[in-house]
Amino acid sequence: MRNDTDIAIVSWATTPMVRQTGNTETQLLLHAITDALEPVGLTRADVDFTCAGSCDYISGATFSFVGNLDAIGAWPPKRDSHVEMDGAWAMYEAWLRLHHGDIEIAVVTGSGRSSTANPALIYPMEMDPYYLAPLGVDPLTFAALQARALIDAGKITERDMAEVAVRSRRDAKSNPHAQVTGNFDVDKLLEEDYVRAPLRRHDLPPITDGACAVVLATARRAEQLRERPAWITGLEHRTECHNPALRELTDSPSTRIAAEAAGIGDGPIDLAELQAAFTHEELLLREVLGLDDSVPVNQSGGALAANPIMATGLVRISEAARHIVEGDKQRTLAHSTSGPCLQQNLVCILEGDS
Amino acid sequence: MPRLVEHRIQFPYKRSLGPVFGAFMTALVERKILGIRNGNKVLAPPLEWDPQTGEELAPDFVEVGPAGTVTNWTWVPEPTEQHPLDRSFAFACIQLDGAHNSMIHAVDAGTMDAMSAGMRVAPRWRAERIGKINDIECFVPGEDPEIPEGDTGEAPEEPVTMMEYFASITYRNPVSENAERAGAAGKEKRLLGQQCPVCARIYAGGRGYCPIDAVELTPEHDVDLPQRGVVSNYTIVTPVQYPGQTETEAFARVMIRLDGVDVVLGYQGLIDVPVAEIHPGIRVAAMWASEAEREDDGGRSMISGLVGWIPTGEPDDTSPDLLNKVL
Repeated sequence: MRNDTDIAIVSWATTPMVRQTGNTETQLLLHAITDALEPVGLTRADVDFTCAGSCDYISGATFSFVGNLDAIGAWPPKRDSHVEMDGAWAMYEAWLRLHHGDIEIAVVTGSGRSSTANPALIYPMEMDPYYLAPLGVDPLTFAALQARALIDAGKITERDMAEVAVRSRRDAKSNPHAQVTGNFDVDKLLEEDYVRAPLRRHDLPPITDGACAVVLATARRAEQLRERPAWITGLEHRTECHNPALRELTDSPSTRIAAEAAGIGDGPIDLAELQAAFTHEELLLREVLGLDDSVPVNQSGGALAANPIMATGLVRISEAARHIVEGDKQRTLAHSTSGPCLQQNLVCILEGDS
Repeated sequence: MPRLVEHRIQFPYKRSLGPVFGAFMTALVERKILGIRNGNKVLAPPLEWDPQTGEELAPDFVEVGPAGTVTNWTWVPEPTEQHPLDRSFAFACIQLDGAHNSMIHAVDAGTMDAMSAGMRVAPRWRAERIGKINDIECFVPGEDPEIPEGDTGEAPEEPVTMMEYFASITYRNPVSENAERAGAAGKEKRLLGQQCPVCARIYAGGRGYCPIDAVELTPEHDVDLPQRGVVSNYTIVTPVQYPGQTETEAFARVMIRLDGVDVVLGYQGLIDVPVAEIHPGIRVAAMWASEAEREDDGGRSMISGLVGWIPTGEPDDTSPDLLNKVL
């Protein structure tokens, strides 16, 4: 039995995930929202609240999210919000908003065209403006420092990392939206040169353009719209210090605390989708979340197969929801992250009716 | 794949530093590196607050380094334009002597094989120091700082209180088919609009969607718009001389309500009307650039080739509802 205040994911859609799309971000969202609403027989007029996750720095236009509103269909006038974060955090806001109890349907989006500029030049500008941005410390550098910290601590090896890449690319073969797929050999991958030691090409995510939309509903509508909605039974996020040099990079305490608060320990996890854009991040997150080898992780291929920045986390949530709605899993976990070296982490627990 | 248009966004930031970052930056000019006491430990470079608890730290500074120990590192084979060195180098976490944490900076080690955790490094000081983290050009292997010849490490005349940071990114964005068609129409001195098949509202230029109904507008929805209208609203911009601003005198931008259709064009130029005489109600007509004048703006403007709007000399439109129409 569900309470009136319970909230579920009832539908979702993603655009094709590609290295460079000819579509504008608004066009991507237009398609994603339409494709998310149609399977449950909703139209834009049924939507009470929308929340978008996107980034002006990536799109290269101030207030680009205002232009993206063209995709929402704001008539009759809608309550709307935006977060300059992954769509997973937009979902957090929509989930809070639905808890007010006066509205029933929300649409959440995440969108990004990473091909628009060079990510290595954009991200340093978001870092600590006094000590890091003037040095141009880029995402690959931060990731490499965390990978080396884990290797030096004896927690992982370069081989472990390559095995994550091989498994992700193999699993991604069955994901129609994956960008990097195929059969690879660990030994061959380990022969390749470093891109940022100890990271090789296979340890990195692709550059991806894409968008995702997710439809949330409160209990009464959710049960009308889907036979088996994906109930959000836990949704929490926590953050850590902005400067990775001041953190213990071999741990992710914010992930652990968010997961505990979201109720990870209340039952077994049948499947997890983790926003691990770098191979070592999956290994660290698995350990911190206590997910042993029996728990399938990133069967979609994860962020290593397609990494539409600002939507990558929301795609993880939609993948975790899919397994509930389709009925093959009972309790799944989705994770999203933001900031250098897993600075801020969100954990979402989804459950189906038994 | 559609045509891509390239543009560059630049932000010349000036940041105030406050008492803690300011003290650190001022000391760099004197070739000193400061940390801040945090309980029994020293945090370097200093922060205004304890990174774990958020407790504010008293401005109790301690000189650290200048040499330190590499605790973690990675190798950058191909530097970007933002990096401190133009050749292969390491980014490293460096624990300066006397500090209890590491700072990230570059190490000019020559080759990756020269890098290891535990190696000792010291700063290479820039000759022209302005109070910025880049006053340390990078670190170099060994115990001894590299100091430019004759550098006395004098204190700056005034404490450093501000920091400049120049951000610049080049973007390549696709030009939508609708924007291309609107641009092509402008070259023929036609004002292209699109009519929504659901609500029948008309939109100017290459917008490509009805924002009310969220449907895509395609060539079958194209309509030609009238090229006469009325000034429905206006604003006068007094230019602030920020970088990139080419206007020096006050100028106006007006909204034009087109005749016979429910379309208002925003942010338009008005030609041959002194700023002081602009008012709602002036009747205007579109003025197009000649073939020779027309400058291809690379698809950035919605209506390519439109110079602005020029008064027709007709009597003013005195409708009372002119100001209220914005879309």
